[in-house]
Amino acid sequence: MEPEHVYTISEINSTVRQVIEDGIGSVWLRGEISNLKRAPSGHTYFTLKDKSAEIAAVRFRSASTLLPSQTLESGMEVIAYGRVSLYEPRGQYQFIVSLIQPAGLGALQLSFERLKQRLQQEGLFDEAHKLPIPRYPMQIGVVTSSTGAAFRDIVSVAARRWPLAQIYLFPSAVQGEKAPLEIAEAIACADEFSKMETHLDLLIVGRGGGSLEDLNVFNDERVARAIYACRTPIVSAIGHEIDFTIADFVADRRAPTPSAAAEIVFPDQDDLRRGLRGMISQHVRRVRARIDRSDEKINTTMRSYVLRIPVRKVESLAQRLDLLTQLMLRAMQRALVNRARELKRMRGLIRLSNPDLPLQRGYSITRIAGQERVLRDAADAALGKLIETRLSRGLIVSRIEEVNEDEDR
Amino acid sequence: MKIDDSLGRLEEITKRLEQDDIPLEEALVLFEEGVSLATKVNSALDEARLRVKTVLEQTKGSFAIDDFDLQ
Repeated sequence: MEPEHVYTISEINSTVRQVIEDGIGSVWLRGEISNLKRAPSGHTYFTLKDKSAEIAAVRFRSASTLLPSQTLESGMEVIAYGRVSLYEPRGQYQFIVSLIQPAGLGALQLSFERLKQRLQQEGLFDEAHKLPIPRYPMQIGVVTSSTGAAFRDIVSVAARRWPLAQIYLFPSAVQGEKAPLEIAEAIACADEFSKMETHLDLLIVGRGGGSLEDLNVFNDERVARAIYACRTPIVSAIGHEIDFTIADFVADRRAPTPSAAAEIVFPDQDDLRRGLRGMISQHVRRVRARIDRSDEKINTTMRSYVLRIPVRKVESLAQRLDLLTQLMLRAMQRALVNRARELKRMRGLIRLSNPDLPLQRGYSITRIAGQERVLRDAADAALGKLIETRLSRGLIVSRIEEVNEDEDR
Repeated sequence: MKIDDSLGRLEEITKRLEQDDIPLEEALVLFEEGVSLATKVNSALDEARLRVKTVLEQTKGSFAIDDFDLQ
């Protein structure tokens, strides 16, 4: 019998491959992974099996997968999407996996994972693109529903923590079919507002907790792209603690709930007030220390020239600073204003009490030679005695020629 | 008033006052400036009242701004 047509092996394998691929196409398979091998090329080879059958499977490095290759392991029950094909060089048929996930995840989860991966690869989640959140924001935009609990939560936290804030609400539906588009538009509107009208330091975008479908509004690609395109820093504030949405990954900062977002965004005025008081107390200690050091210097001078009185004056300088500080801190605590004027007056006093300054202005200090006491009364000066006069620079020794006890200066 | 600027300046003053070689006169001047800044920030907080507004874009680049009724 003459053969009608003689196939080469290559031809038949190629033909079978066509038949399989055309006849079956892409399918979902459920099974358990076994014999998992990771090739140096980055491809992963394994067998998918159930109780009575198995199929060779390969996940190419380039494949889009819900699970990183590292998390795949033998014994894992998975659902995989891919096409059945034939590896022609060996004539073995196999399953080429394009998506793989642990068994038990729903369709919503799957589309979430696909979008997440696509946007991630595109760079929408890149840390380098994230904007810093200002520490002391004054104008804050909020994109959420005007009637929802989220906005009220944000406002009440702001009122308590940071009443300096001006909040601008850009209202948007946060549930239903129209919500993703409205949210994306409100974000763009806020960014435009910040550029054209009033600068916004940052935006809070979110909604309170809800059903999976409600939160899924923030898993929309339009929302993700609007967040990415926004030049105003965005803090996402969506749902309850455990919910992560695509918007959370794109946002410059993620907060688990709207209230938590407000706690992150609005600095606590009490902390700031405490911080200021602490800072001023620290300044006081430093200035005090500085004065003490000049005391030492003056004291050394005092000892050699035996001038006692100015020492007491310097002590009172330090006391004045203390008094001043107490007044000031009390004033800040009681939220009184305009103690700065008092400070200025105090400073004038402080300046006057520096013992070097009178000397610089031309006054001098006189004592009887060899005595410690400063001369204050002409009656203490006897004719013919030697006196020493200390000037700003230098010392003069003179002999008393005349004493007039009555003359006022 | 820019809170950021005031706090930044206060940090600078703190740093300068930390230096042992600062002249007494300069220390007093800086101290006074610090107290004045701290007092200003403090009174800004005292006087602040949270303001809440709603913004709607009417046409491109034109916005309607209204007070938001917190009741």
